[in-house]
Amino acid sequence: MTPDSLDSLGVPKAEFLASVRQALGREDVPPAQLYPRLADTLAELEDQASQIRRRLEENLAALLDKLADMAAKGGWNVHRAAGTEEAVGYIESIVRDSGATNVVRSAQDVFNQVPVDSALTNLGAKVTVVLRDDETPREVLREEIRQSGVGITGADYALAETGSLVILPRKGLSRLVSLVPPVHIALVRAQDLLDTLDDLFLLRRLEYHQRDGEMGSYLNFITGPSRTADIEMTIVEGVHGPKEVHMVILG
Amino acid sequence: MPEIKTQDFSAASIAAINDPKLRRALDRVASGFEVARLDRVAEATPEVWEDWRQQARDIKAHTIEHLDYYLDLLYTNVTAAGGHLHFAKDANQANEIVAHIAQTRGVKVATKSKSMVSEELGLNPVLEAVGVEVWETDLGEYIIQLAEETPSHLVAPALHKSKEDVAELFSEKLGIPYDEDIYHMAATAREVLRDKFMEADLGISGANFVVAETGTLVIITNEGNGRLSTSAPRIHIGITGMEKVIPSMQDLSIFLRLLPQSATGQRITSYVSMTTGPRRFDDEDGPEEFHLVLVDNGRSKMLADPALREALYCIRCGACLNICPIYARIGGHAYGWVYPGPIGAVVSPMLVGLKRAKELPQASSLCGACREVCPIKIDIPRMLLDLRKKTAESPDSNLRSAPWIEGFLARFYARLMSGPKLLGMAVRFGRLLQKAERIIPFFSPMTKDGEWIKKAPLPPLSKWTRSRDLPTLPKQTFHDIWNKELSRDDS
Amino acid sequence: MTHKASISVDLYVTCIIDQLYPKVGVSVVRVLRRLGVTVGFPKDQTCCGQPVYNTGFTKQASTLAKRVLEQFQDSEYVVVPSGSCAATLRVFYLELFADDPDLLTQAKALAAKTYEFSEFLVNVLKVEDASDCGVARQGTATYHPSCHLMRELGVKTEPKKLLSTVPGLEEKPLEGAEICCGFGGTFSVKFPHISEGMVADKIANVQASGAETLVACDMSCLMNMAGALNRQGSDIKVRHLAQILDSESD
Repeated sequence: MTPDSLDSLGVPKAEFLASVRQALGREDVPPAQLYPRLADTLAELEDQASQIRRRLEENLAALLDKLADMAAKGGWNVHRAAGTEEAVGYIESIVRDSGATNVVRSAQDVFNQVPVDSALTNLGAKVTVVLRDDETPREVLREEIRQSGVGITGADYALAETGSLVILPRKGLSRLVSLVPPVHIALVRAQDLLDTLDDLFLLRRLEYHQRDGEMGSYLNFITGPSRTADIEMTIVEGVHGPKEVHMVILG
Repeated sequence: MPEIKTQDFSAASIAAINDPKLRRALDRVASGFEVARLDRVAEATPEVWEDWRQQARDIKAHTIEHLDYYLDLLYTNVTAAGGHLHFAKDANQANEIVAHIAQTRGVKVATKSKSMVSEELGLNPVLEAVGVEVWETDLGEYIIQLAEETPSHLVAPALHKSKEDVAELFSEKLGIPYDEDIYHMAATAREVLRDKFMEADLGISGANFVVAETGTLVIITNEGNGRLSTSAPRIHIGITGMEKVIPSMQDLSIFLRLLPQSATGQRITSYVSMTTGPRRFDDEDGPEEFHLVLVDNGRSKMLADPALREALYCIRCGACLNICPIYARIGGHAYGWVYPGPIGAVVSPMLVGLKRAKELPQASSLCGACREVCPIKIDIPRMLLDLRKKTAESPDSNLRSAPWIEGFLARFYARLMSGPKLLGMAVRFGRLLQKAERIIPFFSPMTKDGEWIKKAPLPPLSKWTRSRDLPTLPKQTFHDIWNKELSRDDS
Repeated sequence: MTHKASISVDLYVTCIIDQLYPKVGVSVVRVLRRLGVTVGFPKDQTCCGQPVYNTGFTKQASTLAKRVLEQFQDSEYVVVPSGSCAATLRVFYLELFADDPDLLTQAKALAAKTYEFSEFLVNVLKVEDASDCGVARQGTATYHPSCHLMRELGVKTEPKKLLSTVPGLEEKPLEGAEICCGFGGTFSVKFPHISEGMVADKIANVQASGAETLVACDMSCLMNMAGALNRQGSDIKVRHLAQILDSESD
């Protein structure tokens, strides 16, 4: 796929590693003790994953509260919805308040459970599902995203420790939907919940090893709006990413 | 490589100290980031924070000790994910690699998210020379790109600029009306760069970490430009130093706690973006090509020196800058090259040559505050002492460059202190001079009570008396008093 | 209130106290004797080598360090009224002699019995309250924790414990206490423009504290701060902790 051979670029691996070894004064051997995490077997990872799941089940309510609390501290506008109707209601009012006439959303299955499209079209907004098919090339969808006022996604994970949304862009989940429009709404369900960063990375590694070294091309944590303090240490929100982010938690 | 001005440290630091605007800017930094960092330490609790630091240090120490092994693993996994890993021995080679990729892929526009290593390489002019329009997109980097300056801090590159400076800069370079409102200026940057993100063929990022286990590049950012640069263009090139590798993705939890909290006092940054190869065939968007350029550029010199190896553990959080009383007075530019502050005082000499940057390790009171705030417990004072030792005594004349007079004074001092007799003579001579001075006060004005000297005639003491009084030699030393009155032991 | 009266220490008085501030040395001896300690003074002592060590001249530093190793090899305890000199003996000598097994052994032996003055009182003599020293004061004082004392030796609470229990003395907090005073040995004359700024900030904080007396455990820091205070015409008294605890000192 790449136009030409890249083999001649830079120092050949063997030579580079040899010079590193020389600097360290060591032989070409693995570390005397294999790094514990790299020695994890698939069975061990699966076992840790089920422990994580168990702990989540036992502490669900408390963790949801922690997520809401940390997400708010992190700059999310947090809305807790008891049911799907309430969730749709929140999304509707956020879109209405934004004045957006163009909305883009991902094609995640949460939207089967929480049908937002009709409510938003009733508001007079155009809703584009960012999912490529034979008729819609990437460029067209990209333009829709650029023109939109609100981007809506689900969650792959929601981390209580940091109040972060975690998304894994893939088919039906564009990297740009949660990034380009000035407002981002994320719909989070109890099943997306995780407690700690350690939990998240364990599950990612599990997937990587289960799928023989495949974990998708990208992962994003989102905690609050885009920010900068580069001018006189004054915090400004909405620099290149969204200015306003809303987390609607179902449950 | 960007221009090296480390040899001008003295003059540059004096100029910086005399700049009241810079002082105001630096005061803002010290009170901002460090206060927030302390909140995070208290929230984690000091015991937990210490535990994190030790874990982080252990991970880095293990990785650096086996760096070749983890670079090999990284290579395997970046390649398996469909990416390309290129090893660059120096800045020229790294720039060549990036320029080659740009040229062969017909790149016209490139957006960059913050990368200190790309500053170290002096990458932008090289790309511009092959016809690429390069846009810095981090607000601070964008500002200094317009101003044609270099960054003055690891995390907040334009902190030396006041809002008036930025307003003037925007007005001049962008042709817009002068507007000091910080919110408006940020909005201007957003507007100007929006199209560029979407138009760009190439996105260039740095890397906070690269994970060997999975071949993943990790950046932690706040503005969104890092996400845009690594998602919108068709090619993504990540550039970083070879020391940034960590063994397992699991290790990220510790670093994602320590880095934001140490750098700005945030619990976590707005975004953490993790790239593992180019987009997969049915992804909605993302780059078609992913390249990682890992740079040596003198790091193997630090690797080869056990006294300096731990400088490679640095995660570039900037906490040492924020606490350092020297940085607080002189700012980043006085250090004369890419890396300022305490860590810069070690890394810059190692990368540009100790002889050329020999003042940097000297300009420290060795207070140790940097070591205290470093999330990886890097012992910067020890490394400064080691560099001082090299400057004073190294058998290698490329390193040994202390002025002759210093060596002479050191030998003289050791001689003087080698026995109480010689020292006693010197002290008696000093008292004689003082007596003479009181009778004929021609070169060392003293206070009336004879307790203080207001102005010493020669350096080094004259440097002291510029701003401080110097105590005069008392009539007796402690030795004298002991011998006369104290040596009897009645408890 | 009984202390180990059978303890005998050798005083490493430090060259700055010996040459410039002998009264501080006298106070140290008086306080230790008051607490029942026998005080010896190996007379050939001079400088620990810190100034040359810190400027990278380790050969010269070794010459001076070996003298210290020799002079104190038979001491039961070595008490040092200076955080930076105590750190030199206890921490830096180990690094200086890292490659010489014989000298390293001697350095370790020295390190094991070397104490800074305030930590000796609190941790070895078990002084709980400064009134044990038979001293009473009036007025206000503020304490500057010197960098090596705090960060190389880890001595943080001991000086405060002693200072805060001096009958009649009110302690005032010092803003930015843990920020370096700007001395740093030869740093103060090699980079005077930076050092001046640091001491100016420090004495501004001292003056803002409202205290009448500035106290520390290092005469090097105190010399720096006193020199700046005096240049400004300040009345603030500058005292080593030993002088505060010595009932015969003003």
